[in-house]
Amino acid sequence: MRLLWVLFKKELRAFFVSPVAYVVLALVMVLSGYSFRAALSILERGPSEGSIVQWMFQPNWFWLSYFFIFPLLTMRLFAEEKKMGTFETLFTTPVHTWQVVLSKYLAAVFVYSVLWAPSFINFHLIDWITAGQVEIPPGSLKGSYLILLVMGLFNLSIGCFASALTSNQIIAAVISFTFSLLHFLGGLFIMVLGRKVSETFVDIISYFASMEHIRTFTSGLIDTRPIVYYTSLALLFLALTHQVLEFRRWKP
Amino acid sequence: MIDVQDLTKQYAGRTAVDRLTFQVEPGQIVGFLGPNGAGKSTTMRILSGYMPPTSGRATVNGHDVFHESIAVRKSIGYMPEMAPLYTDMKVKEYLRFRAELKGLSGREMRQRVGEVMDLCTITDVRRRLIGHLSKGFRQRVALADALLHKPPLLILDEPTNGLDPVQIRQVRDLLRSLKPAHTILLSTHILQEVEAVCDRVLMIHHGRILANDTPDRLTRGLRAASVVQVELRAGGDDVLAKIEALPNVRKATQDGEESGWRTITVRVEANQDVREPLMDLALKQGWKIRELHRQLPSLEDVFIELSAAD
Repeated sequence: MRLLWVLFKKELRAFFVSPVAYVVLALVMVLSGYSFRAALSILERGPSEGSIVQWMFQPNWFWLSYFFIFPLLTMRLFAEEKKMGTFETLFTTPVHTWQVVLSKYLAAVFVYSVLWAPSFINFHLIDWITAGQVEIPPGSLKGSYLILLVMGLFNLSIGCFASALTSNQIIAAVISFTFSLLHFLGGLFIMVLGRKVSETFVDIISYFASMEHIRTFTSGLIDTRPIVYYTSLALLFLALTHQVLEFRRWKP
Repeated sequence: MIDVQDLTKQYAGRTAVDRLTFQVEPGQIVGFLGPNGAGKSTTMRILSGYMPPTSGRATVNGHDVFHESIAVRKSIGYMPEMAPLYTDMKVKEYLRFRAELKGLSGREMRQRVGEVMDLCTITDVRRRLIGHLSKGFRQRVALADALLHKPPLLILDEPTNGLDPVQIRQVRDLLRSLKPAHTILLSTHILQEVEAVCDRVLMIHHGRILANDTPDRLTRGLRAASVVQVELRAGGDDVLAKIEALPNVRKATQDGEESGWRTITVRVEANQDVREPLMDLALKQGWKIRELHRQLPSLEDVFIELSAAD
C-alpha cells in the first residue's frame, strides 16, 4: 500500500511537470466550453425539450474529439520507461508488477477526473448567474459525470494496455486511439443503421453502444449495466497490461 | 553470495549466455570482463531478477532469482548499463523516490539519501535536474541509487563508463571502501579496472567463461606472449641478429627508421623479460637507446588467445 502511494505520487508528478496535463486540460476546457456555449444557444432560442446537461453532452462531435484525451494521458505511462531504460531500474526494485500498473492507472484516472472539474463549475456558474432560472436537473448532472467517469476508466485502461505493448509512444497512442474510437463508432453505426438490421442484433449491440449509454445517463437515468460493463472491461485490460509486463519475467 | 549453475539464456536464435557456472564469495569484488556482446549484461540482468534464464539456476543470497524475485531484489543494488534515470527529476528528489521504493522512509530515508550523495560526491548537484547533468554525474547518481538500501550485493554494469579519469579513480576508491560490507559484481571491458579493484576476474566471451581467477595470476598468464619495444641508434646490419641471439628472444623485427633511430619489436618467450639483457647488449655494443618498454598484451590479444584455445 505504501509502495502504491509512493509510485502514485511519482506518476502524478510526472503528469504535471511535463506539459501533457496542461495541454489536455486546455483541450478539455475548450471542448467542454464550446459544447456548453452551444447548449446555452439552444436555450437562447426559446423553450425547447430537454435540459442544458443533455445538450452539452449529446453532440457527436463532442464525443469524437473526446477520444483524443486518452492517448495523450496514457501513451507515456510504460512506453517512456521502456524507451529510457528506467523500466529496468524500476523492476529491479522490490515492487510488484501490479503495484506499478495500478499506480500508473490511478494517476491517469486522477488526472482525467481533474480535467472535468472546470466543466462542472460551468453549470454552477450559470446557475448562479441566472439565479436558478436555467433548469439543471441534478440527476442528469450526476448521471453525465458518472458516465464520463466509467467511460474514462475503460478507455484509460485501453491506453495503459497499449502503452505496455511498445516502447514507442506514438504507436501506443495510435493503438489506444484506434481501439477507443472503434468501440465508440461500432455502437454509433449500429444505432444509425438501426432499422436495416435485425432487432436482436441491434439489441445486443446497444448493450455496448456508448452513445446509447450516454443518452441514458445524461437524461438522468442511472443504468447499472453500462457501469458493470465498463468497469469490468477496465479490469480486464488492466489484467492484460499486467500480463504483458509480467511476460518479460516468464519468457524463457 | 552468488551461485550460478549452468545458466543459459537464448534470444531468438542466439545464445547470449551458454551454460555459465560460477560462484561469488561474500565480501569479494568480482570483475566481469569481456568484450561488448559477451553476455555480461545478460547475466547481470538475470541475477538482478529482471529476466529469467532459459535454463539453469541462479541464487543470490540463498534466494532463487526467478522464484523469489522480490527477496533477491531486496538484497541487491543493481545499476544497469548506461545508467537510465528519470531525466525530469531532480537528483535529491529522484534518490528519495528510489529510497522509498526500496522500503526506506522518514528520517532514515533522508539521512541515507544524504549519505549516498556524499559518498558519490553528488551533493553539489542535488537540486539540479538529472536531464541537465553530464554523463559522469548521471553515472554517479545511478551508483548512489544502487547503494541506497545498503544491499549486501552490488551488481554494477560498467560503473565507470563515461567517467573522466579523476572520477574513475574516485569510483574505484569508493568501491574498495565498500568491500568488507558489500559483495560487488561489476562488469567492464577495461583490463586495468579489473587489476585495480577486483579480487577475482571472470572472463567471459561468447557467453562462456574463459577464465576465473585472481587478476594477479591471470595477468601473469596473459603476459606470456609479451613484446618489448626498443628504439635505438646503432650502426651495422647485424643489430637484429644480435638481439635475436639473446636468450629467450623469439624474433626481432624492425618496424621503421627515423633519422638513424630504429624502432625494433622484440617478441619474447613465455614469462620472460629481456629488457635487462637487451640493455646490457646495447651498452656493450655502444648502441644508444632512447626508449625501451615492455608492451602488455591488450585485452583483445588475450581474448584472441583464449578463444582460439577454446
